[in-house]
Amino acid sequence: MSNPNAIRLDSVSKSFDGFKALSEASFTARWGEVHALLGENGAGKSSLMNIAAGLYAPETGSLFIDDNPVRLKGPLDAAAQGIGMVHQHFKLVKPFTVAENILLGLRHLQAGTYRQRLAQTAEQITAMAASLGFSIEPHARVDQLSVAEQQRVEILKVLLAGARILILDEPTAVLTDAEAENLLTTVQHFAHQEGAAVILVTHKMNDVMRYADQVTVMRTGSTVASLKPQTVSVGELVKLTVGDAPTPPQIPSSRDAGEVRLAVRDLRSSGDAPALRGVNLELRAGEIYGIAGVGGNGQSELAGALMGLPEPVSGEMELVGEGDLNSLSAARRRELGIACIPADRYSSALAAPLSISDNFAMGDVHSGRYGPFWFLRRKRIEADTAAAVAEFDVQGVRSLQQKAALLSGGNAQKLVIAREFARIPQLVIVHSPSRGLDVRATLAVHERLRSARDAGAAVLLISEDLDEVMALADRIGVMSAGRIIGEFAQPADRQAIGQAMVNHV
Amino acid sequence: MDMIASWIGNIPDFAVPFALAALGLIVIERSGVLALGAEGLMLVGALAGIGASLMTGGATVWALILAMCAAGVVSLLFALMVLVMRINQVIAGLALVFFCQGLTGLLGTLLDWTNKPVAGLQSLSLWPFSELPVVGKLFVQNPLVFVTPLIFVVVVLVLNRSVLGLRLRAVGENPQAADAAGIPVLGYRCAAIVAGSMLIGLAGAYISVLSTKMWIADMVGGRGWIAVALVIFARWSPWKALAGAVLFGCIEALIPQMAASGIRLPQYFVFMTPYAVTLGVMIWVALASRDSSSQPGALGEPFIREERR
Amino acid sequence: MFDTTNFQPLLARRYTLEVRQQMAWYWQAQVIALALLVGMLISAAILVSAGVPAGELLNEFVILTLFDSQSLRAVLFQAAPLIMVGLAGCLAFRARFWNLGLEGQMIWGAIGATAISLFEIGPPSLRLPLMMVCAMACGLLWALAPVLLKLHLKVNEIISTLMLNYIAINFLLHLVYGSWKDPRDSFPYSPQYKVFERLPELFDGVSLAVVLALVVALFVLWFTGISRAGLYLRFVDSSPGVARAVGVPVKRVILGTVLLSGALAGLAGLMITAGQEGRLTHSFYAGYGFSGILIAFLARNQPIAATVVAVLVATLFVAGRSLQVFYQIPFSMVQLIQAILVICVASSEFFIRHRIRRIQGGQV
Repeated sequence: MSNPNAIRLDSVSKSFDGFKALSEASFTARWGEVHALLGENGAGKSSLMNIAAGLYAPETGSLFIDDNPVRLKGPLDAAAQGIGMVHQHFKLVKPFTVAENILLGLRHLQAGTYRQRLAQTAEQITAMAASLGFSIEPHARVDQLSVAEQQRVEILKVLLAGARILILDEPTAVLTDAEAENLLTTVQHFAHQEGAAVILVTHKMNDVMRYADQVTVMRTGSTVASLKPQTVSVGELVKLTVGDAPTPPQIPSSRDAGEVRLAVRDLRSSGDAPALRGVNLELRAGEIYGIAGVGGNGQSELAGALMGLPEPVSGEMELVGEGDLNSLSAARRRELGIACIPADRYSSALAAPLSISDNFAMGDVHSGRYGPFWFLRRKRIEADTAAAVAEFDVQGVRSLQQKAALLSGGNAQKLVIAREFARIPQLVIVHSPSRGLDVRATLAVHERLRSARDAGAAVLLISEDLDEVMALADRIGVMSAGRIIGEFAQPADRQAIGQAMVNHV
Repeated sequence: MDMIASWIGNIPDFAVPFALAALGLIVIERSGVLALGAEGLMLVGALAGIGASLMTGGATVWALILAMCAAGVVSLLFALMVLVMRINQVIAGLALVFFCQGLTGLLGTLLDWTNKPVAGLQSLSLWPFSELPVVGKLFVQNPLVFVTPLIFVVVVLVLNRSVLGLRLRAVGENPQAADAAGIPVLGYRCAAIVAGSMLIGLAGAYISVLSTKMWIADMVGGRGWIAVALVIFARWSPWKALAGAVLFGCIEALIPQMAASGIRLPQYFVFMTPYAVTLGVMIWVALASRDSSSQPGALGEPFIREERR
Repeated sequence: MFDTTNFQPLLARRYTLEVRQQMAWYWQAQVIALALLVGMLISAAILVSAGVPAGELLNEFVILTLFDSQSLRAVLFQAAPLIMVGLAGCLAFRARFWNLGLEGQMIWGAIGATAISLFEIGPPSLRLPLMMVCAMACGLLWALAPVLLKLHLKVNEIISTLMLNYIAINFLLHLVYGSWKDPRDSFPYSPQYKVFERLPELFDGVSLAVVLALVVALFVLWFTGISRAGLYLRFVDSSPGVARAVGVPVKRVILGTVLLSGALAGLAGLMITAGQEGRLTHSFYAGYGFSGILIAFLARNQPIAATVVAVLVATLFVAGRSLQVFYQIPFSMVQLIQAILVICVASSEFFIRHRIRRIQGGQV
């Protein structure tokens, strides 16, 4: 390893069906360093690394390993070159055991019966895990493991296949603070002691400042800077990442909350491992109640239950003055001004192949505004949609007939809000509103939520992004293991909240 | 007593086509490809088996092998449709069935292979079992009946106790994971389609060459569809499919017995039984277990590496 | 820091597959037309190798069937039930329901109508409308079990509808070979319908069946395009999860649409028995099941397109029959041609939905 450069990407460009994800991006990582690839959502970090890992083919540009030009025909080639990538969405076969998953990718174990090879794999797993400082049961089924453990399996998989260039795509997104620290320390050790090159794809400044030796900043598909994080301040790093300095998040005003609008009592899911284990909360008019917590503690199930998914839950969700939330028909919910903004736009809010006006129409069609059953008033739908698109600044609409899928993440979110807020909302339930959105779009969404609150709505914000919750909420509840285990009024102590998030009651 | 003995003796003859077809379907579906074309592939195997038998003047084993190959070749069309063209797998399966029905109907008439009897295979007697009372006839069957359990054993071993099988199952559960591990997803699926189809073709050939010993248009009569249902309620497990096939064999074997026994039952109602039982079992299975956790995770979804998520 | 000199082309020519987001409809139509052409050429090749002189093909398919007024009438007459099953297919598929039971529903429709005729229910003036209502009701009921099973128990409807098909077929045989057999001769069919029980010819030899089919086509157009149900169906078809979340009464929509599909198929059954045959026969339904699916597929579930495609399929049927008579080509040829067309059009969708991109190294 006389050559210091482990991997080099030169002027790589890539488009997806007309959308330019990467334009002339360049990146160099050296042996023995932890190199962070920093950028906002949508900056192109994952795309660039997917090219390095052989999953995508670049349109233009070159790839060098140890300064030798290399052509990758697929992930197998990348693995042969010693490149291993751990993705955000794990590529594990859930019903298989850890050993079976890893055996899948091991090409050098050719000899012996199946049983023997499996046993050999198990041995290698235990050995490698020990050298990294943790233990794992090789014959456990992957779907029985926790998320952090599954991530470790992914890392083992990649290392046992011989990776010397380790790429981690947003690894701490699904971990608690403690688990994240554990992981990053481990990979740092792997780089510094073993001489491997570790590339950390992330949008978290803190991780970069604490663990990276070098950071390359990406913005809208290009690499804008590469420097040592120790030489700059966090503020400068943020500026490089975001471009113009964004307006600083507002401190939520301490308004007097009004009467209770929504009362949730002892909400429980059914089954062996219920996601909800007795959620209790009260939501008042004129406040934003933010539910913070690490992902996977029941937030999605709570959102689903409140938004009307037909999941079996016991307990009460009472809309004060109306009765059970779930007993309301869609038309009635609309009438009462209940607005729902789910996390996953295209699986719960918008039908991707249908037109923008069709999607918008579903807001008010039940009330009869768009005609009786036997006649749909298209003109009125078009007019309403056009007005809403203008008012809520939904960009990229060439025609109201175009498929909703063509809208970018931020604009799709704005469309959902436009539909839900078409009538003045009284109760807003929103889950991870800024997921996948860039800074500008996020600010716009936050603005809408605040003005809804200021107009007297009761807003329930469920988000795994603590920054978002801190910036918006008047009151913060911490969700852990299917329950709200603590409530904090603003101004809240971030450390205390972080502690609460990690303590599993 | 005689009736029961001859009913039992007939069961394998009816069970084997279901068993082989179901096994073939399981191989294909474990790789993540929804295979509805069994009915068509069985017809191809049936016609090809008869045709080969007629043309070679009775070399039955070769005829069976040729039938398997014919089904394998036709399955390449299906593989082309679902793997390369990424056609919706339900439509591709239906189109395949109708294509095969049309093709076999046409060729059967044009090549004058219809209604021509063939010799089939000599039955083998498994002495001393064949001397047992009542169940003795169970052990006097044509050789393919005895070979079928062996085929099952081989397939199960490959699926569950070999790296090849592991990779195949991975392709069916999570093709992205398999791809990332460097497994050629499309290659494995294609191989599974051809291999499974050969088994299905063999099932069809059994019906025409060994059982009925002639070709009549559309002679598979829905058994391919029943095999599809069998796989669903066997939860993609080969041994459960075998059990289901035996069950259906029992039912189908009853039909000629009823006629022979002189019991007065409306004939066509008796013919309805396999289909009604299939429907009944589907309902029963749906009632008994409302989870489909044994369904291969990626069943029915085409695989494209660069689909931006 | 960034080395932009000394480019080296990394990848030589290479092809990769990308998903397209949208293609303008006129391009789509062109691609489909091309696919149909390819399919027909393949079919023509098969026909020629089966013994039909190539010159005769054009004669048969185009000239005789479309320009001869008698066979044009035959085509239209044949088209009526095909339009019905095509529309039935369109409706069911829009609800994401694979209704393969069209033949079974047709059979029950015909049985219901025949029952009214045989048991002489109702006065002669009302007999035919009563038969129509009964046919629709029977078809609808035969579709009830599969859709309920799917909605409440998630039973795969492909299997359930197909099994019910086979059961219906056997029941039909039971009737026409048994208690409903015409005592006058030994053929497996029911006694003839009386004159007032048959679909009359309206004008210029065009049967009521054709008019009925067109009226139903307009009804389906209204249902899917103008009524609110059409909007609901679009959601159910494209994203059932989203449909539920935005308040579409998914179960009711699916149930209503599938029952409607069954009713239309039942009516198609009546059109054949009270139209072409004049009695309940043992194999009147043959080929209509797949044709219905084919028509809906080629027409992309659009009612007007389905009507047009149905007429083309009717042409195929009529031409197929004369091929059978004059050249001894078995009727399964028609099925084969239909399958080839489906495969070609389905394959062409590949080009609509994907783009094949060539990758080249070097500067853009």
